[in-house]
Amino acid sequence: MEPLLKIKNLKTRFHTEDGIVNAVNGVSYSMDAGEILGVVGESGCGKSVHALSIMRLIPCPPGNIESGEVWLDDRDLLKISEAEMRHVRGAEIAMVFQDPMTSLNPVYTVGFQITEALMLHKNIDKLEARERARELLTLVGIPEAKKRLDNYPHQFSGGMRQRAMIAMALSCEPRLLIADEPTTALDVTIQAQIIDLVVRLQDQLGMAVMWITHNLGVVAELAHKINVMYAGYIIERGDTGDIYKRTRHPYTMGLLGSLPRLDEAPGTKLISIPGLPPDLVALPKGCPFYARCTYRVGQCLEEMPPLVEADGKEHTVACWRWDTLQGGLRDDG
Amino acid sequence: MTESTPEDIGVLDFAVREHRSLWLDAWRRLISSNTARLGMFIVGVFILSAVLAHYFWKYDAKTDLDYSLKLKPPNLVATEKIKSIHPFGTDKLGRDIFRRTVHGGWNSLRVGIVAVGISLFVGGLLGLLAGFYESINITYLERIFLMGLTGLFLGSLSAWIAGQPIQALLFTGLGVISVLLSNFLAGKNTRLVLFAGIGLLLGAGPALLVGPLVAVVCGFLGIIVGAILSMPMGGRLFSNIVMRLMDIILSFPGYLLAIAIVAFLGPGLEKGMIAIGVVGIPVYARLARSAVLSVIQKEYILAAQSVGEAHGRIIFRYIFPNILSPIIVQTTMGLANAILSAAALGFLGLGAIPPEAEWGAMLGDSYRYLTSGAWWAVLYPGLAIMLSVLGFNLLGDGLRDALDPKLRI
Repeated sequence: MEPLLKIKNLKTRFHTEDGIVNAVNGVSYSMDAGEILGVVGESGCGKSVHALSIMRLIPCPPGNIESGEVWLDDRDLLKISEAEMRHVRGAEIAMVFQDPMTSLNPVYTVGFQITEALMLHKNIDKLEARERARELLTLVGIPEAKKRLDNYPHQFSGGMRQRAMIAMALSCEPRLLIADEPTTALDVTIQAQIIDLVVRLQDQLGMAVMWITHNLGVVAELAHKINVMYAGYIIERGDTGDIYKRTRHPYTMGLLGSLPRLDEAPGTKLISIPGLPPDLVALPKGCPFYARCTYRVGQCLEEMPPLVEADGKEHTVACWRWDTLQGGLRDDG
Repeated sequence: MTESTPEDIGVLDFAVREHRSLWLDAWRRLISSNTARLGMFIVGVFILSAVLAHYFWKYDAKTDLDYSLKLKPPNLVATEKIKSIHPFGTDKLGRDIFRRTVHGGWNSLRVGIVAVGISLFVGGLLGLLAGFYESINITYLERIFLMGLTGLFLGSLSAWIAGQPIQALLFTGLGVISVLLSNFLAGKNTRLVLFAGIGLLLGAGPALLVGPLVAVVCGFLGIIVGAILSMPMGGRLFSNIVMRLMDIILSFPGYLLAIAIVAFLGPGLEKGMIAIGVVGIPVYARLARSAVLSVIQKEYILAAQSVGEAHGRIIFRYIFPNILSPIIVQTTMGLANAILSAAALGFLGLGAIPPEAEWGAMLGDSYRYLTSGAWWAVLYPGLAIMLSVLGFNLLGDGLRDALDPKLRI
């Protein structure tokens, strides 16, 4: 089957006063229709920037997509004109952002903003759009949707705003929904509700979802596949089960080791990864994880390892020593 | 204890939070404040009296003259000596000061509104565009538009000096061509030399018809404009050009610049409006730009882009309503300032042309008679200036409190 989205060697840089920030350094992968992809990594590892690059929403200057291809069907999104791109945004790829407090325009009602998005891409009149907006609000689980349409964002709670944002993003039935840390600003119960909501909607509408987060627990529940990113590289990628149970990259192992476990004896200390991610202005020549890695060898300092297949086609890892390393959670975990 | 279902909570939530818009909220806060109410009252009285007087109590300043009533003190009842009633007294030409003060209000408010309108429109738009394009990727069409605008903007100075309006159009064309050719002439230095050369020709050529000295000045300006237009146009360059021009205007003392402009254009109420308006442009440009820069970082702008909204709609439907509050406050305060400036120009004989009724001009006419005891001729127009400025300032203060985003709940 032809994949929905194919990304080849995507590189995004920011030209700042301190130098060139290498935010995304040659990311390649593909996504199938209806797939839920989790993108995980520390803050500043290029998760959000690579998503914004796909949408071509990187502010330029200072940002710049240096090279790469983003194929949606038979179009390279990085080559088409801005006018064509505007039709892709919202209609084909939609996005939900991190902070529900600022992602709705405070001067318009929620209903207005959803109908606005609808009328932009669909040839329908105001009444129809309003009816559709009501359906959407009901779909994302907002009670009394009809009255709520006339509410302003400040009359919504954080969780409701995120639901409204999701309704807005879904308004034109996109084939891919990029969710950029949509639950980070919400408390745990609301987080669970939003995750359930997205899983339910994904099931109902059959769209693909890219879920960007730094929370490994969240993606474990919902993702089919996971990209682990570090310093602008994908360093491990595979099915969720492979990533969690047959971990190959020391960084992923470190991430998993730093999670609290229910099945551990009380008093067990969490293992943290020492050090900080490298400065993206001056990336080391070799593996960016070298300085923090406990398994490093001389070759790691010299050369960035390529993404190679481990355990079959679907599980790839960028580490020179992947074949000697295996970690991850126990099967019953 | 009864259990509550989520539906109950939803209903309760809705019942507690009354449905109202941000502007209605702001209005309620405004009318609940005493200072704002006082300000509104004063401003309302002035506007009402000026409008009513203008339409229902016609006054022709040119024929209003009666030496027999020269400098009479205020009287509220008619006597044998003074048959008519003059609540504010009369001035050196025997004109009723009450009437002139009320009619002066029409002129002062008009100056204030038109001048602030000029500053607000030009400054606000420039600031809005500068702030927006500084932080958002610009498209090819917008690049052409902005470059043409820059050419028109910069070229109009040279066109004005030479008295050849066509020059401004030529520079606009140069700006557009610069974008169209941006792919063909990549060499930075060739471009610079080429465009400076074209600028020299465009600047000096039409100006030669006027005189050699003008041609030299315009040629020099043309080189600079051409050099600027040769640069690769980004939003940042546009913003830089606009804001540096604003800095140049701001570097002159306000009144001095207004006087210079009036001296150049010639006296008159309309010229005064233009002068005061031009002086006020940078204030609004800076305010609008800074407000845009803070609003544009909000995620709803990114969200609007991510659903595919066009730039024009983002500017006017998403950004503009969100930067309105500081601009409304500044406009109200600016009205007070413009009235004061108009009075200052009038006092110096540069605003309204006598015998037209205008508060500043009335002061300037009558201050010499203060020593001979005619306090009323100065007091009432002075009081009118003071009260109207106070009224607008109080209203502005009230608006600032009402529209303060920190107070939004």
